[in-house]
Amino acid sequence: MFRSSSNLGFPRKIVAYYLLFCLIAVSWLAMGMLMTAHKVLDSRATSACLARLGKTAAALELEYLRNGPNDFQKILQSSQWTNGLQNCSVVSLEGTVLASTDVNVVGQSAIDHKGQQLRWGNVSGIQYQEDQGQTISEYRVPLIAHEDHFGSLRISVQQLNSWSTLAEIARVAPAVILVPLGLIVAGGVLLARLTSPLAQVDSQLRHIALQRPTVDLILQPLPAKDAISIGWNRLVNALNQDHSSGTADALSSRLAEAVAAREQNGMQDILHNFPDGIAVTDGEGRITFANRAIEALLGSETTDEELAGIEFEGQLINKSSSEALRDSVFEGAAVLCPVVTEIERLGDGGGQRTLRVARLPMENENQSGHVWSVRDITQQKLTEKVRDQFIDAATHELRTPLSNIKAYAETLVTCEEIEVEQQKKFCNIINSEVTRLARFVDDLLCISSMETGSIGIQRQRTISSRLFEEVLAKVQPLMKQKSIDFDVQLPEKMEDIQVDKDKIVAVLVNLLGNAAKYTPAKGRVSLRVNIDEEQLQFAVVDTGVGISAEEITKVFDKFFRSDDPRVQEEVGTGLGLSLAREVIRMHGGEITVESQIDQGTTFMATIPI
Amino acid sequence: MDTKAKRALIVDDNVALARVTQFALDKAGFETETAFNGRLALKAALETQFDIVITDQQMPEMTGIELCQALRSRPEYSDCPIILLTAKGLELELPRLRKELGIDATFAKPFSPSAIVKTCEELLVATAQEPECV
Repeated sequence: MFRSSSNLGFPRKIVAYYLLFCLIAVSWLAMGMLMTAHKVLDSRATSACLARLGKTAAALELEYLRNGPNDFQKILQSSQWTNGLQNCSVVSLEGTVLASTDVNVVGQSAIDHKGQQLRWGNVSGIQYQEDQGQTISEYRVPLIAHEDHFGSLRISVQQLNSWSTLAEIARVAPAVILVPLGLIVAGGVLLARLTSPLAQVDSQLRHIALQRPTVDLILQPLPAKDAISIGWNRLVNALNQDHSSGTADALSSRLAEAVAAREQNGMQDILHNFPDGIAVTDGEGRITFANRAIEALLGSETTDEELAGIEFEGQLINKSSSEALRDSVFEGAAVLCPVVTEIERLGDGGGQRTLRVARLPMENENQSGHVWSVRDITQQKLTEKVRDQFIDAATHELRTPLSNIKAYAETLVTCEEIEVEQQKKFCNIINSEVTRLARFVDDLLCISSMETGSIGIQRQRTISSRLFEEVLAKVQPLMKQKSIDFDVQLPEKMEDIQVDKDKIVAVLVNLLGNAAKYTPAKGRVSLRVNIDEEQLQFAVVDTGVGISAEEITKVFDKFFRSDDPRVQEEVGTGLGLSLAREVIRMHGGEITVESQIDQGTTFMATIPI
Repeated sequence: MDTKAKRALIVDDNVALARVTQFALDKAGFETETAFNGRLALKAALETQFDIVITDQQMPEMTGIELCQALRSRPEYSDCPIILLTAKGLELELPRLRKELGIDATFAKPFSPSAIVKTCEELLVATAQEPECV
């Protein structure tokens, strides 16, 4: 369909349809006109015939009254001359032709034809086929004078057939047919002219439709004739200008930019939400991009916009406490070498933060610069420090008894001249060192197990006075050794209590041992105890070195040991307080600490009994 | 070698260890004295001249390192052999300490008392030979 009609353009089709419908309409009209003309002509011939019949009959009746029937032939002939009467005869009642326009039949018998009967008022008639095939209508009027019916007047008329009608019309046909035909043709030509720009547009569009999408659009302007051509030409000009001014290229590049920007936005979102600080600096070291972690790192009041263009390296280490560090970090490193270093920096809260800073060179055709990755490893460092402290403490705690055991055992083995008493003494020392070692390992396992919940406490009925006697027996030698004023305030009535005795003794020994350890000689340590029906409360107060506000939150942490040199010089594992808190927690109680640096420390515990 | 006249100072807050070291050196013929921290040791060393000092590193009040520094600042102890004992994981830093403080030997705990005795003897022989060389 599309292929076959593609040869004939849309406007030509319009013209063709126009002509087709016009021709059908004209033919229809012509046929209608032919039929109407036939009827009209036929009816006119009949009327004329009848009119002559009536007139001649009247004349014949008058003649009959005046002179009788003798002059009928004259009247018919005169009528023939004046009125053009033809095929007319007067027939007597007997059927003899009295007079006729055809003198040859006068006196002969009239022929009665057979055919279709006709009747027009008092006029009767008959329609019959003549020998030559023509249809003849014969009309008869009775001739009556004073009620004397003396004959009839007969007139024959040849009926019009289609051909005779056509012959009649043919005379006016040129005017009737040629004028509408001429108008139709003129209309067709006008229509073709009007739609000719459409035809060209149509053919161009058709051509484009058949082209591949990748082929460039080439549109031809039309000869400017009408609004369609002018509009089309403007469109073509506009498109060509777009082509020539590279608008299409600009458009495609804008599209590419938009796609790239969308991708970049996605990447920026990822970078912004990255927990590590990420920054990009240009060749001069100024920030061109910084994510939120960097913003947070450089100060909460700094925003992304404010960071742009700031010299990054200075920002990163300008608050650093170490001048030497600032010089050494990146100055010496070649610009194109990746650098990874750790720097100390004063944080917002004033505390030292440790940052791991990696700087990678970034080279591309547009710019050179660096990508910086900054991670706050303060927490990691702290964990490492705690671990190191633990290893340090554990090493010391393990090595000291081991050293003694090894030294004494080796001496026992290698020295031959040792007295028996001396040998016993040495063996006792080895024994006590082994006990000390075992206790340390026990403590370590105990706290670990309590933390993981694999061991619990076993409450048993305990005589409280015995419990405190045991504690005092263990700590009083320590107090005496440093001449510490040890003040014990026990309640007058010592109720029996339900606790895990061994563990509570260990807690009290630990707290009092710490108090003795970190209180200078001749200081003062107090133990205040209160027991009521529901709970056991005690407080250990010393006048020792105290704990700084920064460290007080960590004293119960496992393996934590203060940085204070006065604490560092004492031996300790950093497990005691951790263990104490765990034991009290498992009893459903709680332990708190208050301290003032250089003034002393107070531990208070409440244990439900 | 005549070591009877040699005087050794043993410094350790771990009394038991100081005693067994002292016992071993006594058996080897040294004349020994013990101190339980750096401060007491320095006091003793300034009162009497010792030929050799054996000190623990980690001690209250004055550490072994501080004691070494104090001793080396004195002319009478500038050449005195010093042996450092340590229970800490400072092994990696020992070469630096030996160089900076002029520590002649170091022992990581646990150590063998007889090895200490042997080292003391060797060091004293070396110091005794040095003046002859000069």
